[in-house]
Amino acid sequence: MITAEISPSKGTDTSQMLKDAVLLKDIVDAVNVTDNQRAVMRMSPLAACTILQEKGLETIMHVTCRDRNRLSLQSELIGACSLGIRNVLVMSGDHPTKGDHEGAKPVYDLDSVQLLGMIQKLNKGIDFSGNRLEGGTDFCTGAVTNTELNEVALIKLRKKIKMGAIFFQTQAVFDVKGFSGFMEKINEIGSKKIRIIAGIIPLRSERSAHFLNKVPGIRVPDDMIEHIKKAKEPQVQGMKIAAEIIKELRTMCDGVHIMPLGNHENTRTLLEMAGIL
Amino acid sequence: MIISRQKEFNDILQLLNEKNIFIIGCGKCAKKQHTGGEIEVLDMRMRLEEAGKNITGWTVLSSACSINSWNDVLSQNPGIKMSDALLVMSCGGGISVISGFAGLQVYPALDTESLGGVCCNEVVTEQCGMCGDCTIWLYGGVCPVIRCAKSLLNGPCGGAVEGKCEVDERLCAWDKIFDRLKELDKLENLEKIHEPKNHMKKVRVKRT
Repeated sequence: MITAEISPSKGTDTSQMLKDAVLLKDIVDAVNVTDNQRAVMRMSPLAACTILQEKGLETIMHVTCRDRNRLSLQSELIGACSLGIRNVLVMSGDHPTKGDHEGAKPVYDLDSVQLLGMIQKLNKGIDFSGNRLEGGTDFCTGAVTNTELNEVALIKLRKKIKMGAIFFQTQAVFDVKGFSGFMEKINEIGSKKIRIIAGIIPLRSERSAHFLNKVPGIRVPDDMIEHIKKAKEPQVQGMKIAAEIIKELRTMCDGVHIMPLGNHENTRTLLEMAGIL
Repeated sequence: MIISRQKEFNDILQLLNEKNIFIIGCGKCAKKQHTGGEIEVLDMRMRLEEAGKNITGWTVLSSACSINSWNDVLSQNPGIKMSDALLVMSCGGGISVISGFAGLQVYPALDTESLGGVCCNEVVTEQCGMCGDCTIWLYGGVCPVIRCAKSLLNGPCGGAVEGKCEVDERLCAWDKIFDRLKELDKLENLEKIHEPKNHMKKVRVKRT
């Protein structure tokens, strides 16, 4: 499975989002539509998913716990399902202080485990309070994970599975060996039903590598940074590295998820380099 | 203990439109934290006088949030009757109680932050999230409602870098919860699915 990330527009002009949609339409299985990622305010993913589905793309709608309480989350999810959105990816969401509305009230009425549980209920045709719905939802539900898991993070991942996550999207992978350790832990859980989609970010420059190293859950190895630094065309080198990572990961997990720093103009080339297209 | 911090002096000065000001400190939490005890009240008096205010008097109540008789406070502090406004150096609880009695403008000199405590002479902040539904024993005595920046009840968000919370310099509460539960041989608590909080228990409006 190949998925790619699209950011809803920062405003009503959807042209960049639609440009990405055209670039991705025939080369990915689905697009992930982010929910005020990094706590930066953008168009709602529900609206963006609807626009993208009208263009013929399969969408995976991100749902964070940061901005809505249980009432709002449920009404949004019911609305999404009614508009034909069938896949959701659940996460806590970056804290408001990390974004462009630092003083916003952090909601977190539910956490990601509880939100997954609530979606299971909606799928069964009942709401959080146990009231019967006039038509339940029909979501395929995923969650996110880092690939470096300490004991407490692994316990949380197991809880997410227990509460209905059937696929996991990982943070960007640069260390394939580390990823294989992560997959061992996943396999030890012994749940055959879950699918792992590994995150891919093509490096653009040495600076981007250092930037990513500050992002929680991402670790760009020193020798990789060295390669980028020495390359005449760092962006091309970044693509080569990403293509190699994709080739290796495909044998280890169920798919990859492309999240470029910027737009998707190189995503087709990247997938070609990785031997997918 | 209620954790408070003093407002910026210039911000306090901007609040005070009135000339004749009486200052009230608090002998409990604010005193302990050096935000509203006698020393701080006297310092405030000096700075306000320097700024041209007429300080009609000052007192430090044994506990600003627990007043038996406002008449006693008035009789012991005749300056209050000559004042246009009170400046209260206590938590929001104290200011609120005093405002209920005073019948004149009351201003806060402090901002109330959290419910904390004192441990080995060190003030510890954000110890209780005041959710009205205490389950702290399930978390090894570490309240996730307030110690976790996202109040997550089922485990960490994954945003911590080298043990530090994504929000600020605080350590990830979930590492602490894990360590405590391990120490208590109660790691099985982490495996439980904790339901969302019932916020009905927090608000004062009770269902009849």
